[in-house]
Amino acid sequence: MIEAASRPIEPEIGGALSRLRDQPTYGAYVAVSDMLDGAAAGTMPPLHVSLLTNFTVDALVPVMKGEIALAGFHPAVHVAAPDTILQESLERESGVYRSRPEVVVVALWLEGLTPALTSRFMALSEDEARSELERVLNLLDEIVSALRFHTEAPILINNFPLTLYPVQGILDAQSENSQTQLILALNQELVRRVRRFPDVYLVDYMSLFARIGGAQAIDERFWQIGRAPLGRGALMPLGQLYGRYFKALRGRNRKCLVLDCDNTLWGGVVGEDGMGGLRLGVSYPGSSYQAFQREILNLHDRGVILALCSKNNESDVLNVLRNHPDMLLREEHFAAWRINWDNKAENLRRLAEDLSIDLGSMVFLDDSGFECSAVRRQLPEVAVLHLRTDPSTFKHALSAVGFFDTLSTSAEDRRRNQMYQADRERKQAYAQSHGSLDEFLASLEMVAEIGLADDLSITRTSQLTQRTNQFNLTCRRYTESEVRAFLKDPNSRVFSLRLRDRISDLGQVGAAIVIYDGPTAEIDTFLLSCRALSRGAEDALLSEVVRIAGENGCCRVLGRYVRSSRNAQNANFYPSHGFTAIAGEEPGTTWELAIQTGLVKPPPWIRIEPGKSERGRGASI
Amino acid sequence: MARVSEGQLKEVFADLFGLDPNTVGDETTRDTVERWDSSRHLLFVLALEEKFNVTFTEEQTLEILSYPLTRLVLEEHGIHFTRPSKAHGERGR
Repeated sequence: MIEAASRPIEPEIGGALSRLRDQPTYGAYVAVSDMLDGAAAGTMPPLHVSLLTNFTVDALVPVMKGEIALAGFHPAVHVAAPDTILQESLERESGVYRSRPEVVVVALWLEGLTPALTSRFMALSEDEARSELERVLNLLDEIVSALRFHTEAPILINNFPLTLYPVQGILDAQSENSQTQLILALNQELVRRVRRFPDVYLVDYMSLFARIGGAQAIDERFWQIGRAPLGRGALMPLGQLYGRYFKALRGRNRKCLVLDCDNTLWGGVVGEDGMGGLRLGVSYPGSSYQAFQREILNLHDRGVILALCSKNNESDVLNVLRNHPDMLLREEHFAAWRINWDNKAENLRRLAEDLSIDLGSMVFLDDSGFECSAVRRQLPEVAVLHLRTDPSTFKHALSAVGFFDTLSTSAEDRRRNQMYQADRERKQAYAQSHGSLDEFLASLEMVAEIGLADDLSITRTSQLTQRTNQFNLTCRRYTESEVRAFLKDPNSRVFSLRLRDRISDLGQVGAAIVIYDGPTAEIDTFLLSCRALSRGAEDALLSEVVRIAGENGCCRVLGRYVRSSRNAQNANFYPSHGFTAIAGEEPGTTWELAIQTGLVKPPPWIRIEPGKSERGRGASI
Repeated sequence: MARVSEGQLKEVFADLFGLDPNTVGDETTRDTVERWDSSRHLLFVLALEEKFNVTFTEEQTLEILSYPLTRLVLEEHGIHFTRPSKAHGERGR
């Protein structure tokens, strides 16, 4: 395994990080942040973040750094001097751009932007207040446009908390042009303006500060002393909120929720209390479990894969899923389950295999402290959520952690669970076919739609580069704007692969990015989603990449393989298709195929159709 | 009125100033600790407030310039420290 061979994170930092994970305190964040500042990146890949602010963020930075480290990256955070946002974003040689950021954070405090609106509202006429609002919006627009022009990095910009005590008191709530209404209008207009730019995301300070409670979150002492408005109640939640963005941007979010049953989905133990004895229904205490199930259903509808891992007789649990009148979660909501008396860590491993996902994308949820700590110890890559108190708290415990955060939704996300269900049917069909694998694959009547990506497939293609780990030959992660740049570049081609069969449409499951350089076509990225593995779809995609390179006048194709901790099983993909090693390169990393001598043959059981955009534009564009 | 172990206060000093918790004591003052500058002092105040769930007055934030003074000010907020019988450097709440 590659993990064992490479240098571990310095044990001191590893220890401090696990303390931070188990029991976060502000002091622990500061300690970890100091250690990281003094240490080499080691095995953690760096994440360069550039901060532009109009208030003092010194106290927030350690929490951000700790969160970046918890996401598995070595934080390289560059903080521009306060109140230099405009200069820094307009000047192309400024410190922000020179720090080559992978994420730009613009953190703004409304009082710094417009003291008139926040502190001297009564001095403004209605018209003046409106034009002040417009001035702030135009300023933000100018900053974001400049940043978007000079860097491809995703940009995070925040909206604004409401005024704690509106100057007009209770009268404020009666007017359409009140202080509160103006800040709401500002926040709303900000969403509209930000959406016009690719890869710019809003950080919702307004909701966060409402959750914390303004009085805990905002500290007038430090605002007066050093323009540092964040109070002790805000630092950790705000840093952690940024952490959720960093995780989502770098593909460290989770995909699958694995649930215990007894005292998690319902109150009581089905094996002892029987189906009739369970606490589950519209009135208390069973209502808490229904509320929790509704929250889980929301995740399901967002595309989170659901699975069960329970120590029970399978028939007892299935009976509840099928027949209990108050269950909201039913058999069809689960992509897989392991209901038996085996060790839960072992069952989680098997579930990961069943679903072809890796353990690092799983969240395990249980009410038993014993099971939670056993899983934490045996499978450290699985995120564990221990439901430790009353069932009425389960719902918020699950929502608060934001394990499944994404920054975009593609149609595939919403349909993912249907696809896993179709997959279960396919496995049953295979089990019943008794024939050879080839016969089974042929019986699926697969159609691969392979063409050049277009505007509609940018989001999904970027997601695939961020999320795919097993069949991903170079593991290069691209944001939407980076994918768009490849699309625009006349010397590169972005291929998209959509797959369907007689059971379902799997949507876009593959992508390849190819860079043409004279006679050479180099495959920069080649990946296939785990849910389309073992069907030969990768061979179909490679055959098209090679064929179209030939049509474009290339005479050789270069394939690269960059080993990661999870893609070892595909190290020989290129040589198994007739590619040969290139002398002089590090062995196992670069392969070439001369197009005259061999095209790659697609598997006979897949029919290849040109993709939609390609049909529109002609095959060799 | 809360009773907490002294180790928890030493832990905040250790985390904020990069010290070994066992060496934190009456001699730990702003003059003897290298990392204790004015910008770190703000983080120190926030860390104490977050850990012990108190809010200092502005005057108190300027007073807590040593381990004994910090203890004293926290005691004014009803936090009382017990000397642990075993190690000083215990972790966690």
